[in-house]
Amino acid sequence: MYTRWLSSGDELPDRQLVGGKAWSLARMTSLGLPVPPAFVVTTDGFRHFHETGGVSATLRDEVLAGVARLEEESGRRFGSGPNPLLISVRSGAAISMPGMMDTVLNLGMTDEVEAALAAESGDDAFARDTHHRFLDLFTDVVLNRDPRDHPGDSPAAVRASVNRAVPDVGWDPESQLMASVEAVFRSWNSRRALRYRAHQGIPDDLGTAVTVQAMVFGNLGEDSGTGVLFSRNPLDGTNEVFGEYLRRAQGEDVVSGRVTPQRLSDLEDQDPELHSQLLQAARDLEHANREIQDVEFTVQGGRLFLLQSRTAKLAPEAALQTSIDMVAEGLLTKREALRRLSPGQAQSLVAPRLDANAPAGEPLATGESACAGVGTGTVVDDPDRAVALAAEGKRVVLARPTTSPEDLPGMLAATAVVTDEGGSTSHAAVVSRALGLPCIVGAGRGALADHVGTDVTVDAASGAVYAGTLPVFVPKEDDSPGLRTVIAWAREHSPIDVTPDADGLNDGDLVDLSELSGGSDPERVADLIAGLSGVTAICGGASASPDAVAAAIDAGVRRIVTDPVLPALLAAVQHGPATD
Amino acid sequence: MRADEHLVLHGLAVKKHATAEEVADVIGEEPARVAEVLTANVATGRVVDLNGKFTLQPGARMIVKGEYSRHFAGLRTNDAFETAYERFEKVNDDVKAVITAWQVRELPSGEAVSNDHADPAYDEKIIDRLGAIHERFEPTLKQMCAEVPRLERYAEKLDSALEKAEQGESQWVSDVTIPSYHTVWFELHEDLLCMLGRERVE
Repeated sequence: MYTRWLSSGDELPDRQLVGGKAWSLARMTSLGLPVPPAFVVTTDGFRHFHETGGVSATLRDEVLAGVARLEEESGRRFGSGPNPLLISVRSGAAISMPGMMDTVLNLGMTDEVEAALAAESGDDAFARDTHHRFLDLFTDVVLNRDPRDHPGDSPAAVRASVNRAVPDVGWDPESQLMASVEAVFRSWNSRRALRYRAHQGIPDDLGTAVTVQAMVFGNLGEDSGTGVLFSRNPLDGTNEVFGEYLRRAQGEDVVSGRVTPQRLSDLEDQDPELHSQLLQAARDLEHANREIQDVEFTVQGGRLFLLQSRTAKLAPEAALQTSIDMVAEGLLTKREALRRLSPGQAQSLVAPRLDANAPAGEPLATGESACAGVGTGTVVDDPDRAVALAAEGKRVVLARPTTSPEDLPGMLAATAVVTDEGGSTSHAAVVSRALGLPCIVGAGRGALADHVGTDVTVDAASGAVYAGTLPVFVPKEDDSPGLRTVIAWAREHSPIDVTPDADGLNDGDLVDLSELSGGSDPERVADLIAGLSGVTAICGGASASPDAVAAAIDAGVRRIVTDPVLPALLAAVQHGPATD
Repeated sequence: MRADEHLVLHGLAVKKHATAEEVADVIGEEPARVAEVLTANVATGRVVDLNGKFTLQPGARMIVKGEYSRHFAGLRTNDAFETAYERFEKVNDDVKAVITAWQVRELPSGEAVSNDHADPAYDEKIIDRLGAIHERFEPTLKQMCAEVPRLERYAEKLDSALEKAEQGESQWVSDVTIPSYHTVWFELHEDLLCMLGRERVE
């Protein structure tokens, strides 16, 4: 057999055979959770494909048998109405690598299917849009042509345009599917994939699988909809499900922000049973993965389907709170909890911010936040002058219409950058993020022209510039009960002492890295520390960076003096073993 | 101004602040010859030498700009190059979007925060997207190189930066202090804008 059905009764398949994506789907079904029906063309099918040099009759028959079962499970027909089945095709190797084919959605779309879908959903625009999105993706991913070169008012016009460049495209549903499977298998030998495997020592015969899954629609009536949920609040970590739901909508509607979704309670009002099924699913996934989950789901005709679940991206406050709670609930050991907090998150919890209680007044200018942080100084509109003033020890804020590479020295000299024009992809935004420099872009023409030479405060997090030097609030680790708890745990597990002061050290014991060449350079500091001998304690320079902490532990340094302590403590714990 | 001298100053205009070697690298010329031209222009006050790094004086920048139409007249009426350049501009939007996604992530609240690179799966996906854009653009870049052979330096550097990024050396995506993918792409853009007499649109 070259294909394998994913169903709940079976034990978990071999990851090598079905690939990572199908494996995680299988894991969801094995937890008894509802996912849209799917099957896999396995890596055995991959090897068969390359041995025979194409999709053999055997492979084709097995794929079509899989499609027949998708039809049966979904109650829909591939390639025809009145309830047409559309499917997705994804590549899936056991290891992810560059150069593999992307996902193709809405396979099985034709003019006839579009008409059927329009009738079924009562939404002509949706059916037409789905058709165009299929043609774009198929052209892009399977035919490897830029869809912008093939515009068209109608699907027929797009197909005609594509056909002028690629004459022999099969547009019928079965040909679409076979071409997609073939494209996945061929992408295994793309130049980038080959190069990556050669570098990483991954064998070329490992192969990739293809996941074929029924698409579900959240816009087929009032008892359909789509949503996302977090198993806990991703902003503050509160242990309650946090989500949004939109009736009669597709996933893209929620993601694109075209429409404003409702709270999850809207689903609860409409269908309490389905709502509690969803909450239970979120809890099950969280327990199984021992991480806060970010779940995408769709309701089609009153039936719940989970599309995807992954580890949620949490705000630093939420990362801290959930780490503490999950230890209390017995889901994580302290060491595991410490490993899921990053030094960067710990740093941002105590990063300087504008004092919320201090009156800031009306902003002088506002723009788009490109890189958060607070910077204060004198407004300068000339990069050379910024360099000169900074050399005298003055703090400067660089204000420019836009920036280009010749402004770089001026940007490096500034505490913050403000530009008149440009958005989050402009040069100023891109460079300042790379430098970690507070930056506001698109503040409007001549935004700070009248304020050159005056002192301002740039609050890049909110995108506002205020007159004068405002008080900056620096949170203290000791003031937060959560931080105190985690710091205490980290001290139990850290192989090195980290303290905010040098109490108890003799003068000769403490080496200040900022006085040594390379000691402030995050790229060189580890080598510098490795070269020190007989040093008891370090401070200053880049001594709290994760590389420096690791190097210090390896070099036998016993103590790092730095404030805040938690970033360095976490780096120290994370340099150690993953489990107790 | 002679064409070879203009090319050297063009290289400097693209690099902004650069050593003779760096300018030579952009235009594919002998470093010694480039140093000679730059030094001669220091003497005439067109170029300033700041500890071995050269930069164009504002007036000279205008002169160099004014001479493009003369030295690149052929290129400016070359339809194939024009078409390729239009594709570059389209792809430029894609590259900028990918670099932004590399640097900024959206939080659940919808707030954009800088990517802390703590999520390897996210980063790998971005580099993969960059690679896909790169590969798709390669035939066009080859056409450009056929018209202006010195552009091959950019092609080689882009490929090399991408390869390093794919191997996990993620600073090769957008670090401004090394010839990362974004640095080289930006310079190529600057080079094309100068030659074709276009203005950058942010």
